[in-house]
Amino acid sequence: MSRVNDVGGQSGFGALEIEADEPPFHADWEARVFALNSVLVRNGVYRLDEFRDAVERMAPQEYLAASYYERWLHAIETLLAERGLLGDG
Amino acid sequence: MAEFRAGERVRVRAVDPVGHTRVPRYVRGHRGRIVECQGRWALADECAAGVAEPRTEPVYTVAFAAADLWGEGGHEVTVDLWESYIERVQEDGA
Repeated sequence: MSRVNDVGGQSGFGALEIEADEPPFHADWEARVFALNSVLVRNGVYRLDEFRDAVERMAPQEYLAASYYERWLHAIETLLAERGLLGDG
Repeated sequence: MAEFRAGERVRVRAVDPVGHTRVPRYVRGHRGRIVECQGRWALADECAAGVAEPRTEPVYTVAFAAADLWGEGGHEVTVDLWESYIERVQEDGA
């Protein structure tokens, strides 16, 4: 079924905010999440499409409340836990 | 060998797959025009599902009239779509 991410053409989300001179990251942890995902994909831990799927599998209310890189971190944690590479705590 | 040629009219299959797909909801069931083929790529749906050897298919840039999608707008919207997402529109328009 269509997932929460598929909102193209849907109204009610407000205008896109265009930030002047936008930096690639707004916090150091975002850069670390970006780097971590790149390393995991390049080393074949999971595929980029599996990562996208994991982002889309987030509960809609969590997805909508999360920032862009919070979604990335959630997906990374989901995939590592499913592969037995990440435990609780 | 690409199945569709530039200029051909196609329709996006009105599917709603369970898992990951690269078909945006707003083009499903809509008619568009093939702009060009972007080569063959592994099908994202199967890659996302963890299929060991995902099939590769031609990916086409397809143009849609914004007015067809949203009832207004004089511009075109282009979306890259795998071959199995689309089907040929018959001569009689069916």
